[in-house]
Amino acid sequence: MNDKNCPPNSRQRVAGVLRRMLSRQESVVFVVLIFEILLFSAIGRNFLAPDNVRNIVRHSVEIGLLALVMTPIILTGGIDLSVGSMMGLCAVAFGMLWGEAHFAPWLAACAAVAIGTAGGAINAGLITRLGLPPLIVTLGTFSLFRGLAEALTGGSKSFTDFPDSFLSLGNSLAFGVPVQAWVLVVVSLFVWGLVHRTTAGRAFRAIGFAPEGARYAGIPVGKRIAFAYTLAGAVAGLAAVIFVSRVGEARANAGTGYELAAITAVVLGGTSIFGGTGSVYGTLLGVASVAVLSNGLSRILSISDISRELSGMLTGALLLVALAGGALTKALAERPHRSKPADPVNSESAGRKEK
Amino acid sequence: MKSTMPIIETASPILLRKPIYQGSSARPHTRHLFAILAALLAFSGCDRKTETAGGTKNQLTIALLPKSKGNQFFLTVEKGARQAADEIGAKLLFDGPTDNDPAKQNEIIENWISLGVDAIAAASQNKGGISLPLKKARAKGVTVVTYDSDANDEARSFFINQATPKSIGETLMDSAAKLCGEEGEFAIITGTLTAGNLNTWRGFIEARLAEKYPRMKLVATKPCDDDKGKAQQEAANLISAYPSLKCIMAITSPAVPGAAEAVKQAGKAGMVKVLGLGLPSENRAYVKEGVTQAVILWNLCDLGYLTVKAAAAVKNGTLKPGATTFDAGRLGNLKVEGDNILLGAPIIFTSENIDQYQF
Amino acid sequence: MMQKYMRELSIAFVLALLLLALAVFAPNFFAIHPLLSRLTAQSPALVAAIGMTLVIVCRQIDISIGSQFGMCAVVAGVLAAKGMSLPVVLLASAGAGAVMGATNGALVAWLRLPSIVVTLATMVTWAEALRLWQQGRLLDLPAHVKWLSLGQTAGQTTLVVFTVVLVLFAAWAMRNLAAGRHVFAVGNDAEAARLAGIDPQWVTFGVFVLMGVLMGIAAVMNIAQSPQVQPTCGDGLELKVIAACVVGGVAVSGGRGGLLGVFLGFLLLANVNPALTHFHAQAYWEKAIQGLVILLAVVADGVCSKLPNKAGDSKAK
Repeated sequence: MNDKNCPPNSRQRVAGVLRRMLSRQESVVFVVLIFEILLFSAIGRNFLAPDNVRNIVRHSVEIGLLALVMTPIILTGGIDLSVGSMMGLCAVAFGMLWGEAHFAPWLAACAAVAIGTAGGAINAGLITRLGLPPLIVTLGTFSLFRGLAEALTGGSKSFTDFPDSFLSLGNSLAFGVPVQAWVLVVVSLFVWGLVHRTTAGRAFRAIGFAPEGARYAGIPVGKRIAFAYTLAGAVAGLAAVIFVSRVGEARANAGTGYELAAITAVVLGGTSIFGGTGSVYGTLLGVASVAVLSNGLSRILSISDISRELSGMLTGALLLVALAGGALTKALAERPHRSKPADPVNSESAGRKEK
Repeated sequence: MKSTMPIIETASPILLRKPIYQGSSARPHTRHLFAILAALLAFSGCDRKTETAGGTKNQLTIALLPKSKGNQFFLTVEKGARQAADEIGAKLLFDGPTDNDPAKQNEIIENWISLGVDAIAAASQNKGGISLPLKKARAKGVTVVTYDSDANDEARSFFINQATPKSIGETLMDSAAKLCGEEGEFAIITGTLTAGNLNTWRGFIEARLAEKYPRMKLVATKPCDDDKGKAQQEAANLISAYPSLKCIMAITSPAVPGAAEAVKQAGKAGMVKVLGLGLPSENRAYVKEGVTQAVILWNLCDLGYLTVKAAAAVKNGTLKPGATTFDAGRLGNLKVEGDNILLGAPIIFTSENIDQYQF
Repeated sequence: MMQKYMRELSIAFVLALLLLALAVFAPNFFAIHPLLSRLTAQSPALVAAIGMTLVIVCRQIDISIGSQFGMCAVVAGVLAAKGMSLPVVLLASAGAGAVMGATNGALVAWLRLPSIVVTLATMVTWAEALRLWQQGRLLDLPAHVKWLSLGQTAGQTTLVVFTVVLVLFAAWAMRNLAAGRHVFAVGNDAEAARLAGIDPQWVTFGVFVLMGVLMGIAAVMNIAQSPQVQPTCGDGLELKVIAACVVGGVAVSGGRGGLLGVFLGFLLLANVNPALTHFHAQAYWEKAIQGLVILLAVVADGVCSKLPNKAGDSKAK
């Protein structure tokens, strides 16, 4: 027991630091990431080779972008299941504007981002004006956007043969680093600044923690939430353009499954799905650890035939372990101070606005 | 952390000089994160010597890419590919997408390039898209061949053609016409509306229809997402919605048994003909019962075998551009037309010959 | 009373319109044999919707049911192929579903992890495990499984009648059995339920286990309809079922919802595609129309709750 009159000795200090570290999920994910890197560089083939590292970065930029803008949304206690389908719609729009209306690629890209913004605004309007649960609204737009993308192309049309100048966005290097990585860096800095250095970012947390309280405190809840969803749509459009440039083809099924990958990364990185706590660097750590896991397993040639299934299973297990670990350490840390009996299920969400 | 969060918004400037809520444990992590990012970026930027994926000396590593991994069609191709790999003492890597993400094939190929494989044999989902990494592979000296579904010409040395898309489309249309007496309505069940080679075959089917069978009409094309149950439901709906439907053409392998089951349950076996591109093993019972009249395919094992043999031959120089024949081991001498290596014509499996095939 | 059943009435109205249009433009839709086949094919998903209703009313969500469905179907298929009798197969399938449901339930109820993330993780894990095990091979079933050994018409009728009876029983049980009312209580306010003597953790756990058992039953209903099992048969099931529940008026915030609405919503959504086929329309409109129906239902909900006369229904959000 700590007595205020006795300063903690070095062992207690280390234990205190460790407990504080492990009680934060970001630290746990950080340790997992380091462990993965060490493990795969030892048993994987050419894991740390520059072109493999470049591949890891290049292949995770779109999901990274989606996870970054998903963070403020989940911080507010909401969710956006439509970002992957939004990518598909923007990719198709980009392809059509370039291929059929003969826009220049950069102009078509701006239009794609604008369409993404419009889609995000639709989500935002339905959620803030009509007060509908984000889970349901984005479930509907998840189908609707993908359906529109398929209808626009008759399901089968795709656009390809883009000019090399456009393809270099997804496939070449700038200062030795993949070009789209710089886009990710810029967006990361922007979202980090938004979430951790502005009053709007604080507002996201306040809204996630206690929406009614935030409203009484004078935070413009509707405006902040609308901004988060519209930003997500805009960045989904950007991600779509990068995706088309990397893959070389604009199709209606672009971004399939990316929303779940983004949510996995965000939650893995320590952002609570109920809202109120979380960080952007946690999200980046989450994206990195999933990307490294999946790539690393595929570098172990003896299991290369099952590496894909294994990486899926391990990602699922990792998510559960990270969450359970976080919940357990928090419960253990709270135990000596607990004065009331165990909270019922969903105590965190009691009184909160549900998704 | 929650208790120290101020909730009164003042007219403070939008940018805070110091974040109020962060605990002291946050800053070390930010430092660590920047360190990792910097290290990764630095690795991205510098050149280092790398090992190749070759195992023992002179052992080739051949990488086989299917259109999708969980498909019995490509698993059968892989079986034949392994036979060839064992024969020539090569190592075979097999990986493919398990979902509908169009980027996965590109990512797998890029991973193989950095692993240093000797040859890549790919069945492309997106013709234009896959050509990007395949060209990169060729630029690095990796041998690239395609099979089942081609990429752009400059992206590969040879295309192992089981049968040209034109002959597949025409065989399907001709068989359907024969079953229907060259007149009547028919419908197509396809995999997904976005799949490349399925759409190419549909194009040739429709062209053949327009050219030779004016009294036949294609009334609907429905996707089944490669799900047998959905194909069954689609077929049942088609039979009900088009009472004069004479034939269902299922051009993706899970749809053939699905459509057959729907026809059988509707009591229309023999009245609504079923044919399609499918595996003999999955359709044997329906063919024998007379529910499915014709299953068209090519020997998938042989396709895999030929693909690996050809890839190895191109890699060690025995097969060069301009060749007109290729000695394909147990398959004998096969014709090479331009840059297409032809496996042969499609095989039509009927109740007479279906027992000869075990895949 | 009209206001209480507003959602059910509006869905019934839209459904009636659709059926009317079909009766006029495509009367083939109502031919008995195809209709029976269609209803039988849709029954497994409706059984799943029953379980999902309970889960959502309890203020949770389960997006792993597609993987559970596939896993149970393969387990049932493998055992049937080994010669086990139908009751054993059914028990094993339900048991496998119960185990998977219990995993979800334990993580959500006692470790208090958010259900959307837990079921996301279990969905991926079981789907990949299934892929490792079966690799997409079609599994052949022995003859005694087909139609539960009853022959086609009798088997189809049995499956459809069973589903309807199950829906009716579940609707009655949700309102009249203590266990059913406990689910509503916990979904409304878990703390209040605890104070009233209900154990929210066991109720939550039970709801997930029940979901798993129902998936096992649905899987056996599915494999009885065709002589081969495809391991990916559950793909996309969770979205279909959740959409049916949402359209049917089950509030995602928990504590509200009824099976009548879910039943009507399910019928509406499941028949969009057959209706399109019968209207001879193009296939690629299916997803867009379904998304639109979901959004319309949800927007109608939101608009209604903003109407001035609505009695303080704060849970409408």
